[in-house]
Amino acid sequence: MERTQELLMVLCVICLLPISAVGQEVDTDAGEAGDPASLRAPTEISAEDHPWDGGEEIELTFSLSPDDPKDLTSDDLVTYVVSRAGEYGGLYSEVALVVPTAEDYEQGHIVYTVQNSERGEPYFFRVQATTLDGRTSPYAETTEAVYSTREWFAGHRTWLAIVTALISGAVITFILLARAGIQLKIRKIAGLEAVSEAVGRATEMGRSCLFVPGVQDMKDIQTIAAITILARVARTAAEYEARVEVPTARSLVMTAARETIEGSYLSAGRPDAYNEDLIYYVTDEQFGYVAYLSGMMVREKPAACFYMGSFFAESLILAETGNSIGAIQIAGTAQPAQLPFFVAACDYTLIGEELFAASAYLSGSSEELGSLKGQDFGKLIVAVGIIVGCLIATYHELVNNGFFG
Amino acid sequence: MISVDTNNINVILATDCGSTTTKAILIEKIDGHYRQTFRGEAPTTVEEPAADVTMGVVNAVTEVGELANRRLIDDNGNIIRPATDGEGCDIYISTSSAGGGLQMMVAGVVREMTAASAKRAALGAGAIVMDVIASNDKRLPHEQIQRIRELRPDMILISGGTDGGTTTHVVKIAELVAPAKPQPRFGGEYRMPVIYAGNQDAAPLVERTFDDSIDLSVVPNLRPVLERENLGPARDRIHDLFLEHVMAHAPGYEKLMEWTDAPIMPTPGAVGNILQTIAEQQNINAVGVDIGGATTDVFSVFDKTFNRTVSANLGMSYSISNVCAEATMPTILQWVHLEMDERELRNRVKNKMIRPTTIPQTLEALIFEQAVAREALRLAYIQHKEFATTLQGVQQQRTVGDTFSQQTGGQTIVDNMALDLLVASGGVLSHAPRMQQTAAMLIDAFEPEGITTLAKDSIFMMPHLGVLAQVHKQAALEVFEKDCLIYLGTCVAPRGQGKPGKPCFQFSLEGDGINEQGNITVGDLRCIPFASGVRAKLRVEPARGFDMGAGPGTAVEREVKGGEVGVVLDGRGRPLQLPENREQCRKSIEQWVQALGLYPD
Repeated sequence: MERTQELLMVLCVICLLPISAVGQEVDTDAGEAGDPASLRAPTEISAEDHPWDGGEEIELTFSLSPDDPKDLTSDDLVTYVVSRAGEYGGLYSEVALVVPTAEDYEQGHIVYTVQNSERGEPYFFRVQATTLDGRTSPYAETTEAVYSTREWFAGHRTWLAIVTALISGAVITFILLARAGIQLKIRKIAGLEAVSEAVGRATEMGRSCLFVPGVQDMKDIQTIAAITILARVARTAAEYEARVEVPTARSLVMTAARETIEGSYLSAGRPDAYNEDLIYYVTDEQFGYVAYLSGMMVREKPAACFYMGSFFAESLILAETGNSIGAIQIAGTAQPAQLPFFVAACDYTLIGEELFAASAYLSGSSEELGSLKGQDFGKLIVAVGIIVGCLIATYHELVNNGFFG
Repeated sequence: MISVDTNNINVILATDCGSTTTKAILIEKIDGHYRQTFRGEAPTTVEEPAADVTMGVVNAVTEVGELANRRLIDDNGNIIRPATDGEGCDIYISTSSAGGGLQMMVAGVVREMTAASAKRAALGAGAIVMDVIASNDKRLPHEQIQRIRELRPDMILISGGTDGGTTTHVVKIAELVAPAKPQPRFGGEYRMPVIYAGNQDAAPLVERTFDDSIDLSVVPNLRPVLERENLGPARDRIHDLFLEHVMAHAPGYEKLMEWTDAPIMPTPGAVGNILQTIAEQQNINAVGVDIGGATTDVFSVFDKTFNRTVSANLGMSYSISNVCAEATMPTILQWVHLEMDERELRNRVKNKMIRPTTIPQTLEALIFEQAVAREALRLAYIQHKEFATTLQGVQQQRTVGDTFSQQTGGQTIVDNMALDLLVASGGVLSHAPRMQQTAAMLIDAFEPEGITTLAKDSIFMMPHLGVLAQVHKQAALEVFEKDCLIYLGTCVAPRGQGKPGKPCFQFSLEGDGINEQGNITVGDLRCIPFASGVRAKLRVEPARGFDMGAGPGTAVEREVKGGEVGVVLDGRGRPLQLPENREQCRKSIEQWVQALGLYPD
């Protein structure tokens, strides 16, 4: 009896030998050709590290089963189960069920990229053909370990690299052009052009200008942009001998605003007219702040109101109050939800990126103008990409639906 | 204004006392219609040795009388009134720009707001604005005081603040004027007239600022609220003070004022007045230009809003070098179709600078002068557009639809597409040898769009009619229509640009004795002779991308007037762009010169 068992073991080993010896080969003898009950395994299989990636992908190539009808509509559609193990003959886990495409049928083999591999770990793969009615083939498996490695460049991000190079190149080019003295044309931003008009109105009417730098702290980029615009407003007010009042919802914003306004008065040659008491902290509470502002606006009726920075629910309350007292109002925010309110209730609105562009627009420095132009170029590329993509997708869809007959 | 029984006026005598000459015209009622019949001219005698403006007036009127075979001056040298058979006139009126006209300085709080309104008031009254003082004019107080001292204006207009608005700024302005103690140009003994037309709350404070050396008049605020201008009271006061102070102290004017049946008006104010009257009467938008030797005046009435600008350094004789400097020689050379290099052009400018009052004696000199005139007019019109704007500091009403089309206040109200009538006056335009030349200069400089009637003031009669309109509107309008204006024709020019040779518009012109139709391509200029006084129906169908006022590609139909030139079909596009290459440009201009028959072959 023992002798018989040993013999069987030897026979089994002999049967398995060709696969392990050849390495990445397949047990093609399993399953008989023309036997409807059996299915033959893919004849060839190989695995290699996916080039130009971050070390997470392995590319597995295997041929179709000789019994694959190569027809996606066939009842005998053959799919392929890909399994992976950390050691040869170890515990294989299923990683994908691959359905061949028409292209795969044409090429006679499937290239499948296995994701989520760990860099530097050995991997062994096997593939089994299956049909819908439950027939399975023997495994075709790799016998040598494949390691995924990380390359210095992620190939699938080539386009991103090109776009980045284009945008960065455009920014650098425009900066150099601006430095060389070439005039970069920037369209007029009505909201910024109207600053002098608003301050002028306050001057003629003998009233103050109210500047609200949003409800966020200095860490918010919109608040920083608002402070840049405040500098311009304050400078204009200094030239016109008008009064600018800046109530803030954050103490740090108050400090920044004071420094900014002091600088503006100094540069306008009117340091004597600067009054730091007009820039003050009210409260961190959103609606407490808004209540104070509304009350103050109704009482003192400023002739010009500026709302620049980050705003939420208070945008409409402030803008409506300002409108009701007959003030010229200029708003600017990058909060898309608040823009319609500002546009409808204010005289002028800086829309989204205009708020950030204001800094370059006002300073006129070559670096800022150049980067603004470069960014515009980037946006142009994106816009063109979207349009072209839409057209291609539409065309593709129409072709697939037989629109063109 | 005097009250006159207009039914009994049959003979009207009008004079315009200019710096150089005094022009007199006679208007008579013939077959129930007022017509200008005779004209006389004599040197102005405001300067020494005569030093009496009435002497020039008498000389000019005598000439008219001789021509009309009508005795207008009696043995004592006075104008005979009322008119009888063969003698005298029913009313006598006059304008004056002698001695430099009315020169003013204006001040306001914000340069673009109340100061701009004050400037409009002064210019509308016919003054030359010497300087504008404002809180934001970037000058330090001592510089502003120094400037006021140097200017020596005839009067000062101070505005600033809305009613109930700022008082601080207004008093500060008064405090600049008071210590400067500006001296009037004429008459050392009289006090400087200052008109205050600002915040009424500040009036007592302003009054307290000035001492007896200033003759202060307080009139209603010319900007009571920022949304509205009220220039009338300030303008009226300027006229009154012009007569009381400036005229009264100019040699002979006291006597002249006694003679006239209506207050003497500054000449530009009178021109503005007639243009306003015509625009109002005919419900049209009109632009008038008077190009002189030293200055160019542009008047406009758009949507019943009158504006006037004086371009002080744009003129055809004393200011010619400034025109050349501002426009640059290559730009002027663009309008010359002859082989003329920049050096030759410079030589001509220098000659004109040495002898400013000479008139062209050769064809080349005429072409050069008309090229300079085009640029002078173009620059003056640009300045006018920048000045004639909507009010600044006005609250805007917006909807979400305005998100991407927000416009600031202070946009120009001058719209060439809405322009109906363009009137030319001034030597280079009025005395051009061919009417086509005047029309071409107007079209090239002003670039009218759509359908625009072109006319010229035959003998610079507009000032006389401006002051007449205040006394007898019907007479002024009749004479303006029949004798003052020489209709040059109609300019048809769509807005838009295209490639030369491509279709620009199709047209058909049907009327009494005229039936024309055809196509105009981009770059073409064509003139269809069309007799004066005849009207025809014009239909223009612009090509895609071109606009005749009804939207791109939309056809328009209009009744048009004939004129000395006819209908000019201009397919050169708007804005008008000349080829940059000199040779190409020269060929294009030559082609257009041929098309309009501007110069002899």
